[in-house]
Amino acid sequence: MSDPEDEYGDSTLAAEYVLRLLDPSEHASFEERLKDDPQLRRLVHDWEAHFAPIAGEIAPVAPPPRAKQSINAALHGEAKPSRAWSWGWFTGFGSLAAAAVAAFLIFAPILNPPDLTPSFQAELAAPDGSLVVTAGVIPATHEIVLDRVVGAAPPGRVLELWLIAEGATAPVSLGLLAAEGTTRIVVPDDIAPGVRTGTIALSDEPPGGSPTGAPTGTILATGTFVDL
Amino acid sequence: MIAQIVLRDRSAFSALYDATSAKLFGVCLRVLDNRAEAEEVLQEVYIRIWHKADSYTVTGHSPMTWLITVARNLSIDRLRKRKTKTKPIDDAVELADDRPGPEAEAIASSERAQIEACMTELDPRHAEAVKRVYLGGETYNDLAEAQNVPLNTMRTWLRRSLLKLRECLTR
Repeated sequence: MSDPEDEYGDSTLAAEYVLRLLDPSEHASFEERLKDDPQLRRLVHDWEAHFAPIAGEIAPVAPPPRAKQSINAALHGEAKPSRAWSWGWFTGFGSLAAAAVAAFLIFAPILNPPDLTPSFQAELAAPDGSLVVTAGVIPATHEIVLDRVVGAAPPGRVLELWLIAEGATAPVSLGLLAAEGTTRIVVPDDIAPGVRTGTIALSDEPPGGSPTGAPTGTILATGTFVDL
Repeated sequence: MIAQIVLRDRSAFSALYDATSAKLFGVCLRVLDNRAEAEEVLQEVYIRIWHKADSYTVTGHSPMTWLITVARNLSIDRLRKRKTKTKPIDDAVELADDRPGPEAEAIASSERAQIEACMTELDPRHAEAVKRVYLGGETYNDLAEAQNVPLNTMRTWLRRSLLKLRECLTR
């Protein structure tokens, strides 16, 4: 399998990775690239989301009760099902109703997770107001949630987020903003403590982000966080 | 609720299991075509969910997409470990099953409609191949043998189809 990858591009390669079609060495080198290539991770993410609905055609099959017991035994050291209130909570319903109720209960908190609201926020604004991005930080998950309010990356460029921690000598890349919609960036544990008191900045960079690890384009907007 | 699992909420985990295990067991069974192995992998899946719920928020996937992806990938890993030689195509589990399960709505029906519509734009043999790969864990080798074409030809076909699929999905 020595076809040149270029002809089909990273998107096709990402699809092959998601489908588990790459041979072991290709798979390993793709995973190596994934570690520091947010663009590539995005492609993988998109393909996972595209393919998962294929499983929609699979009919559910109830696993035997011992499966749940084994899982609980493995996780919580329980030989018997837990005494928690929720066991059998759904069993009184018809199966369809139960699935609907359970799905609602499960997905509703995700849509509006009470404990995952940002606790501090920054507004990154260009001096002339041509670009405004809000950034909220969720400390529990070390996530920065970014929304573009005004403006966008210049054509053919992407926006990259940087952190300049208090006292730091150089900016650290936090990741790229999606071309559209909300971007969620998880800040690595070792630099997360510096976010609250540091400065964050957006620069315009070539697709895929700065090739050097330092901003190469114009710093378009900066901001600092305030508590909400 | 996955957020609650991050916080080690056992009752949330239990409810998640009750609501999703049948679907995920179905996925494991489809890929592995073996009940005992599917059961073992199902356990791995939920153990992974318990431990990795914190990484779920990172993925940005809808909950069901994440769960299916985990179940499918762990099943394929198991299949690959087991597989010493290629599986004859006749043994492949039946692929056409149009009955919608009760959780079919859990993945936005628009997403499902989109992939289905785009699959119909592919050469039917290639669409079938993509499904076999996703749900049956087939490799390029398996596909090439089944279609009786050289490996590289198979790969070229499938990659072209993936390009087409991408083009359609981002339309």
